[in-house]
Amino acid sequence: MMANRAPMLRIGQQDLKCRQGCGYYGNTQFDGLCSKCFRERNDKQRKRQKAGEDHETLKVNTSSAGGTLERKSPQHSLTMGRANKAKKQPEKDEPTTTASTMPRKKFTVPAVLQKTLKSKFPTAAPQPRVPSATESQFMLQLRQLRIPDDGKRKLKSEIQQLDHEIRKYMNNNSSKNVDELSELVQNAYTRFADLVHNDARFEIATNEDREIAIDFFEKVVMTQNHNLLFSPYFTTDEECDIKVQKRIRQLSWITTKHLDCSIDEVNAEARDLVYNAISELVGIDSYYSPQEKLLCTVRCCRHIFELLKRSTGGPASADDFLPALIFVVLKANPVRLHSNLNFVNRFTNASRVMSGEGGYYFTNLCSAIAFIENLNAESLGLSAEEFDAYMSGEQTYSTPWESALLACESLHLISENMKCMEQLQKRNSVISTGIKEFERELIEFQREITEKVDMVMEKAPLTLLPIKTPPFLISQARAHLAQDGGEAAAGHYQSNLLSLSQQTLTVKGKEQILEDSQLDVGHTLALKDTSVSSVGRLSPLHPNLPQPDQLFASPIFNYTPFDAVSLLEETSENDDVLMLGTEFQGGLTNINYDFDLSDQSGENSVAEDTKLNLDEFDPLAQQQNSPNTHPAETTLLDTTADSLIDSDVPVSEVLLPSPLKPEVANYRGFSNFEIPSISCNTGDFSSLNQDVNDPVAPVQINK
Amino acid sequence: MSSRRPGAGPTLNFKAVLLGEGCVGKTSLVLRYMEDKFNTQHLSTLQASFVTKKVTLPDERRAQLNIWDTAGQERFHALGPIYYRGSDGALLVYDITDQDSFQKVKSWVRELKQMRGSEIALIIVGNKTDLEEQRAISYETALRYAQTVGAQYVETSAKENDGVNELFELLTQLMVAHHGSKQQNDTNALRLQNSISEAGVEPDLDENVPAVAAAHRSCCGI
Repeated sequence: MMANRAPMLRIGQQDLKCRQGCGYYGNTQFDGLCSKCFRERNDKQRKRQKAGEDHETLKVNTSSAGGTLERKSPQHSLTMGRANKAKKQPEKDEPTTTASTMPRKKFTVPAVLQKTLKSKFPTAAPQPRVPSATESQFMLQLRQLRIPDDGKRKLKSEIQQLDHEIRKYMNNNSSKNVDELSELVQNAYTRFADLVHNDARFEIATNEDREIAIDFFEKVVMTQNHNLLFSPYFTTDEECDIKVQKRIRQLSWITTKHLDCSIDEVNAEARDLVYNAISELVGIDSYYSPQEKLLCTVRCCRHIFELLKRSTGGPASADDFLPALIFVVLKANPVRLHSNLNFVNRFTNASRVMSGEGGYYFTNLCSAIAFIENLNAESLGLSAEEFDAYMSGEQTYSTPWESALLACESLHLISENMKCMEQLQKRNSVISTGIKEFERELIEFQREITEKVDMVMEKAPLTLLPIKTPPFLISQARAHLAQDGGEAAAGHYQSNLLSLSQQTLTVKGKEQILEDSQLDVGHTLALKDTSVSSVGRLSPLHPNLPQPDQLFASPIFNYTPFDAVSLLEETSENDDVLMLGTEFQGGLTNINYDFDLSDQSGENSVAEDTKLNLDEFDPLAQQQNSPNTHPAETTLLDTTADSLIDSDVPVSEVLLPSPLKPEVANYRGFSNFEIPSISCNTGDFSSLNQDVNDPVAPVQINK
Repeated sequence: MSSRRPGAGPTLNFKAVLLGEGCVGKTSLVLRYMEDKFNTQHLSTLQASFVTKKVTLPDERRAQLNIWDTAGQERFHALGPIYYRGSDGALLVYDITDQDSFQKVKSWVRELKQMRGSEIALIIVGNKTDLEEQRAISYETALRYAQTVGAQYVETSAKENDGVNELFELLTQLMVAHHGSKQQNDTNALRLQNSISEAGVEPDLDENVPAVAAAHRSCCGI
């Protein structure tokens, strides 16, 4: 009884104490009382019971009257379901009423506690009502039984009668004995079996159908009353469960060798079968009816036989089977073992346990547990000291089973890790191929871009140059120069310029010139720079960019001579074009004539020039070999145009607008209309003035 | 216990346990019995520790025979009661070449008599008659012992298939007789020659067995 005080779960802390307030822990099985108070109350109640007996019999009469009425109903199938539930109602109400009235009768418990108890009991009481789904399933099954309708009706009323008897016993009888209850149920089974076999209502049914009807009877009653009959509170089943469980845990060191059973623990197939058997054995607890529990046992044992058949090579005998079963039970350590066995033993049809495959296996299971409970050193072939050492855990027995399990575990882990690594590797390779692909794409992209740029550059400037250097300018300039400087120089310049404008000189030659000139003259640098920058797009580095001063300087210096010439003033319509021209002219004007001469000579050595260019860009990117040839073909004027853009835009225009832009943004941001637009949606319209709102309104109207 | 059985039904259900030391041939007996009646495919199903057999009784009633094998190892001796609880008959098997196994039978008999009294039909089976030359327990000794405890005595050879069917047919008869004596109304239908009473034993009953068995040859093998 002391062990019973172990608190049940799912109950608040204060509910664990005895309702009587004696300070001990209570137990829900004792209506929330401690064992002592419960016994006292029961004694008192029994006295009162006698007084209230008459009242009780009345109740029974009414409910049985309901049953007879129902039997008369002509259409059974549909009405039965409803009638059944309607009839069940008063029966189920009984426990709740008794439970709620009980405290009022006996106890001086604080009102708060009473309430919690009341609310607790109804939750316990509807439990039989929970399988309403199963109940309806049973109704369906009942309809499907191949027995006459009369028989079905009888079967149903018998079920209800037994149901009622069980509940009555559980609720009214103060001193309960599980054997009495078992006897009651068994007698009902016998009675019903007799009835099925002898009653006229079942006459046309075959033997098989009769057996099915008997099975059905048992199954329904047991499933519906499972919570009452399984491990009843007045038995010690629960303590036995715990005891056995502890015992099995202590015996975890037992191996197949100790039991002389022929299970090959290392064999993977055998292990699988053992696991199957174990899972079936554990599954016994999850079924409600004894039949299902027995079936589960049978499945478990069949796995074991399968196992033994493989290891022994023939049909296994009991000599092999029992040790194997014991081993499986030891390794499974099923929950509520005793409760389950007792439940089946007490409440299943006795013939079921006594005969048939299920009965045999069940008996074996019982004996396996009996063996486990009583085993000692002798039964395992060990000395008492050894046995004690193992039991106390002083000595650990390294079993092949455990080592196999460990090995299995570690192998599992290894394979898991291997899989993980494989995945990582796969991912890694995907990433690396992705990188390579990306690299290739980048290069391709770079190449394409340079190609396109080159193509554009090739196309666009070609038309520019010849147009932008009108001959009249040249003539003017020539005239001007003729006035200012020596004619010889002008002549040189003119010839040079003409060759440029008319033939669209390739850069190859010019660049060579420019490079050479760069060394000497600052003006040429402007040209040089442009050529580099045009190519520089291909290469990240611009070797000549770090000299911006020269870039800016070039146009400035160039202008001075042309200012005098007043070229700008005359052709103010096309600034850029003029600039190009002037720039070019200016750049060239300052070039020494020596280079102009060399230019003509250099035109012949195209290959050498390209090579020189390559040498300059090679260290940066080797792929530029092919693109390089294209820019090399670009005209000089093209490059000069670039140089103008590069030099002029940043200096004059790009720097200036920057302070202006934020102002524009600010202006919009701080406008009175936009602020409300942020706060709410309608603000948009308000910010857009009424003009916007007007078109919206008609749309709504149209709708 | 067995009174709870649906006795009024047409199919009688009998349960018999095989008791005896390990390696005396309990399983072999069952196998031999089943093998001759059943096709091998059925036998090869799984196991030989539990078999059922439907037989037809002389009065045209049908009965189902459940034969439960038990583990013979000494360590499992204490589990016996769980098996023979509610059984109608017990086959106590020993090896005629093994004196120890005979002693074991004696201890079983004592236990059964104590636990079940006279409500269980006992047959002592001396197995392995094919090893006649190594015989350790004489036929007479065993027979005399059987008589003193009110049991039948049969000698068989599972290997040679000698007396096996007769053994199980005798067992069936005994169990039917016991059943009949429990249900007084049925006794007339179950008249066995010399009417084996619970206490009384015919010394030469095993001699009668073949004759009786012949009448039951109609056993159907399903």
